[in-house]
Amino acid sequence: MFLQHIDLTTALRPSYLPDEVLLFVQDNVGLYEGKFKLPDQQNGQVYLTSHRICYVDKDEPRKRSLALELKDVERHEFYAGFWKSSPKVTIVPKPPKRASLRQTVSSVSAPRRNQGPNSPRPEGSPRPKPETPVASSATWVCTICSFSNPVPSNFDPSAANVHTPLPPCLACGIKPSLSHVLKAAIASANSRPSPAPAASSPVLPVRSKLLDSKSPREAFSEASSPDRTGSPQSATAPGEAASTFECPRCTFSNHPSLLSCEMCGASLIYRQGAEPEPVAPSADVARPQSPGPAMDSPKASGPGGIDVQDSVKISFRGGGAQIFYERLKGSMTQRKWLLQNAPPPPKSGHLMDDGQSSSGQSSPKHKTVGIAGLEQRGMNMRKNNEFIIGNAFEDLEALMASAKDVVALAERLARQNSAGGEGISVEENAILAESASQLGLVTTKDIVGGGSSQSLYLSELARNLAEFLTDDSRGVLKKEGGIITLVDLWAMFNRARGGVELVSPMDFEKAVRLWESLKLPVRLRTFRSGVMVVQGRDRTDETTIKALLSWLQDLHEFPPEREVPWDWRTFGQGVTAQEAATRFGWSLGVAEEELLMAEEHGAVCREEGLEGLKFWINYIDTGDIKPMKTKAQEDADAVVRNLKESGLV
Amino acid sequence: MSTAIQTEAGDTFPFPKDYSFPAFFTRQPNLQTHHAQLEKWSALVLAYARHHRLFRLSPTHPVFHNKKLDRRFAEPDARELLEHMRKDGRVEWVGNEVFVYWRKPEDWARKLEKWVEDTAQKGHVLTLYEITEGEATLGTEFHGMDGEVLLKALNHLVKRGRAQIFGQDDSLGVKFF
Repeated sequence: MFLQHIDLTTALRPSYLPDEVLLFVQDNVGLYEGKFKLPDQQNGQVYLTSHRICYVDKDEPRKRSLALELKDVERHEFYAGFWKSSPKVTIVPKPPKRASLRQTVSSVSAPRRNQGPNSPRPEGSPRPKPETPVASSATWVCTICSFSNPVPSNFDPSAANVHTPLPPCLACGIKPSLSHVLKAAIASANSRPSPAPAASSPVLPVRSKLLDSKSPREAFSEASSPDRTGSPQSATAPGEAASTFECPRCTFSNHPSLLSCEMCGASLIYRQGAEPEPVAPSADVARPQSPGPAMDSPKASGPGGIDVQDSVKISFRGGGAQIFYERLKGSMTQRKWLLQNAPPPPKSGHLMDDGQSSSGQSSPKHKTVGIAGLEQRGMNMRKNNEFIIGNAFEDLEALMASAKDVVALAERLARQNSAGGEGISVEENAILAESASQLGLVTTKDIVGGGSSQSLYLSELARNLAEFLTDDSRGVLKKEGGIITLVDLWAMFNRARGGVELVSPMDFEKAVRLWESLKLPVRLRTFRSGVMVVQGRDRTDETTIKALLSWLQDLHEFPPEREVPWDWRTFGQGVTAQEAATRFGWSLGVAEEELLMAEEHGAVCREEGLEGLKFWINYIDTGDIKPMKTKAQEDADAVVRNLKESGLV
Repeated sequence: MSTAIQTEAGDTFPFPKDYSFPAFFTRQPNLQTHHAQLEKWSALVLAYARHHRLFRLSPTHPVFHNKKLDRRFAEPDARELLEHMRKDGRVEWVGNEVFVYWRKPEDWARKLEKWVEDTAQKGHVLTLYEITEGEATLGTEFHGMDGEVLLKALNHLVKRGRAQIFGQDDSLGVKFF
């Protein structure tokens, strides 16, 4: 299944997988399946993460939210919008039960134009194609002589380490650095679904043989995927011989019959099969003029069925399509879902190993003990850290690869800092450090786009905050007795962000005010004194009063600590705000406000004495007193009284 | 009630439960609660005055101070209470004190009239002193009554034409018709 239902967090945002990173959010989008609008998914937010595209419906978020995994995405296209039609991003899924053998090329229109009108329609349903490893088109450019070398076929980016043998440059014989090749391999892997390396050499001969021995038609219909992808070239040859073929590497326009680029020698054959074949020709013809509305409706034209899948379109009615598309491209290139479980990148120096292993290495050599040993160990560790940092920042790609190490290092440093710091309890700091990493999906102004960006940012921030508050593992609200002042929350939230993308107080307040309308499980409450607090939605004044009263009622049962002149069995005891704060885990200010609130409701009454302000169960207004007279009644009474006094009545 | 003897600070008065509730002596900011508090205090003051046959009361009267609890209904609060009672016609300010009308002047007037009728003193002239201190009124409720309150009651009768007051300041007389 291509579109899956997803779980949402309490704040009605998608719950993310481990390592998943939020890249972009846009509201006011709708979904299409093929040509047709999905009636239930017409107004919502789209979340682009490193792993998925999630749609969260605005009205029925729990029922109608969907996600599609980027790893199932074969191809994506952008349509800029025309007249009344909104910009759209089309996502074409991979055919099911087939390893996707095609590469995504972002500019596919030119070749498809060639192929479209003449592309032969298979008579029967296409046979399931055998899985053949795709030829590796990965090359690394020698830093010395700029020659494009192929990445060795057995090179696995996820498994490569410093001991993996690397062939030298074919032209100059200089060995490349591992990170260089790794980078090249990752870049070339941008659209292949599996990291399995491809054997490049065997394919070409096979293919040419096929072309030699069979007619293009035959070749096409039987072709294993690489062959099939080549077929359009041969098929189109008679009709549009004049049209040319752009090399993906050097952009040289080659003759369509060529198999490899005339200029750089790059293979040309894999650019083609980006799409399932049975595409309505008309749709393809229409594409150059208006790629959007008629795009890819294999539903209407797919007789074979097996590899026909509806494309999904995301319509951006509130803008933001361009940024979304850019980031989608980026995340398709990064393919984080592959690297999720990948081992940390190769380490080029023995010092790069963890502190433990480095000490383990050094200890057999010279067994230093005592202070000298400790110093030695500390030295090793520092060198190691230096190395990691130095390597990590060499370039971005390498940083991504060694992200895990760097994060671990940063956490360790943070822990060291907190151990030395004063004022903040270690526990609190640990929570903060932890939450900072858990808070990987922070809402920043950067990830939201579109015209309504300010309000979208605020609503995302509101959801973010709600998640922060209700997260059970962090238990922010619980620790504060279910209620926290807005100022405290603001400080805590910004600290949890680790000093990045701090939220301004004004944005913060605005976001918090959105909770009500977003139906989030937390709410903002303003006490009469103007103090604003945050608490769970289920914690109303009534429940607070109930808790207070039952506590006060308990004081009727337990004798007070010292002799009291009143009958404590009847009246219980008065409590101060301080006592209430201790009892319920509130901060003092909150306790005061809660007691005043209860007084406001007439549940408790106050006593100002030598021991300060105490609150009691309200035994004064027990409901047996007749209600207050209104002003009008008083006037009427006064008139009657006057009349009586003057003897008229 | 009729045989009640005025004993200063004699604590025979059965105070209500509220009187031993510490918060009862603090002015309540909540409107509703405050209203209830005033009503309860007002009932307490009237009952207390009736019990002790008090006709005058000051805001600093011992009734506002619960020695046992060591709680005091502060003077401004007591003043507010008395003002509240005034609006209900239960007290009337005289200088720094109030007349406590645990029985209203018109009620007193009715009682007087009934007593005069019962004892067949219509047309007779009585001094005010006779009414409050005289032997004839022993055993009646208005024996030992505050002179000024009595005068107010008599004025009611005068207004209705059932009595006439004459005489000088200290030696007022009244004739019932």
